Amino acid sequence: MHRILSGRYLPFALSLIAGVALWELAGRNTSAAFMVPFSETMLRLWELAASGALAVQFLDSATLFITGFALALLIGMPFGLLLARLQSLRIALEPYIMVLYATPMVALIPFILSMMGFGFAPKVLVVFLFAIFPILYNTIEGARSIKPELIEVAQSFRSNEWALWREVIVPYTLPFTMTGVRQAVGRGLVGMVAAEFFLSSTGLGQAIMMSSQNFDTSAVFALILVIGLLGVGLMRLGLTIENRFARWRD
Amino acid sequence: MVAVSTREKLKPMVNSGNNAIRIRVRGLGKRYGALEVFRGIDLEAGDHEIVAIVGPSGCGKTTLLRCIDGLLAVDSGEVVVDSERVTSPIAGVAMVFQHFGLFPWKTVYDNVAYGLRMAGISRAEITRRVPHFINLVGLKGFEKAFPYQMSGGMQQRCGLARALAIEPRVLLMDEPFAAVDAQTREILQFELLRIWEQRPTTMLFVTHSIEEAVLMGDRVVVLKGRPSNIHETIAIDLPRPRTRDTLREPRFGELRERVWGTLMSEARQAEFQLGA
Repeated sequence: MHRILSGRYLPFALSLIAGVALWELAGRNTSAAFMVPFSETMLRLWELAASGALAVQFLDSATLFITGFALALLIGMPFGLLLARLQSLRIALEPYIMVLYATPMVALIPFILSMMGFGFAPKVLVVFLFAIFPILYNTIEGARSIKPELIEVAQSFRSNEWALWREVIVPYTLPFTMTGVRQAVGRGLVGMVAAEFFLSSTGLGQAIMMSSQNFDTSAVFALILVIGLLGVGLMRLGLTIENRFARWRD
Repeated sequence: MVAVSTREKLKPMVNSGNNAIRIRVRGLGKRYGALEVFRGIDLEAGDHEIVAIVGPSGCGKTTLLRCIDGLLAVDSGEVVVDSERVTSPIAGVAMVFQHFGLFPWKTVYDNVAYGLRMAGISRAEITRRVPHFINLVGLKGFEKAFPYQMSGGMQQRCGLARALAIEPRVLLMDEPFAAVDAQTREILQFELLRIWEQRPTTMLFVTHSIEEAVLMGDRVVVLKGRPSNIHETIAIDLPRPRTRDTLREPRFGELRERVWGTLMSEARQAEFQLGA
């Protein structure tokens, strides 16, 4: 009991209770068109969940997110390793990567819309574009930071190129890639919502739009809460994976 | 101790290294752009012979060793190990690095197994050999430790085990004990001598420590000059096995003074050049 009180649980619980109380108070003293209290949000969340609509929207969004994110990881990591190893290719492509990384991806959505229309593919492309750059960038930086001494050790022990990648470059770079993955989760979620705002008639993003247009503020808050919690969960997962691959780093 | 007495019966007390020549270096030269590191290096090492290479810092000892390992291309001359010309690292030659060169994401066990896996040794043989060499260097119980969890001395024991595990004909030691503290260094020197008595190999031992060179070597090669060259080769006629007692022998002191005298003028010169 003493441990719980003096540890991290007490401040955590107090902060949570205070936050909810503040939300409740603010909601009760604001017009329902702008903000609703916590209790009402929870009630509406329960209704949405019970009606089955939330599950459908959640599944739509999750499919979109996972597809785009998986593509970003499957392309971003190998491509990043390749760019780290082939200097001329990296120098040639670096300006484009930098510009794309720095560009707010939302600005590209009208272009993607006019090129590809409203299907699943353009939405996946949006999530992919939001998520790939942190993965790519961290992988390149990670793989480039490998000590030349370790490459030399591998050469001295007559490693071939394939074994050099498998035994040295990839294991060394993985924690860096995972840092990128964790950053990409947040960006990917933004991409998911943005794609659903502009390119879709389903998913959590579109549900927020619809609820907002119908002045269903409690539904808007409920859906934002769901996306927020989803983001927290995914980032925690990313951190766990990152630590798992980085346990050799002191 | 059994191994030692067998050796004494087979060979004279002093290791003359007059068996087959294992390493033959002829007219070796290396330059980095305008900077010529060394030129016209001729060097031989016999079977089971330990050749220590000393020289002032920056004289290219480490570069020479990397050229002999085939890690660096040479600009002139050649390196031949057992009639095989070295242009890239060859089988049966292992290197121990000053910076240890352990893979931080691999445990002690996996680091020691690494060289064997690269050499294509069977899995059964690897599981037999790795614990043996971990024991040999005194790391039993640390198989699952990661490098960052160990002291520098223990890390270099692991580096040594990794090199020994491939049962090399030739060991290349690149200032292996330069990065550990003085006490550990002494312990590791005698550990290495003990291990060498058990399984003698041909060894090139690069060091900037004169004492270490005299303690280890059957011969001490002194590199000097810019570009550097072999200034002198001093035969070390101290009996083996060499132990802590070797350090107290008057002959050890004489030889140390001799190598020191050969190096000193150059060292002083280098110091003043740096100071200028």
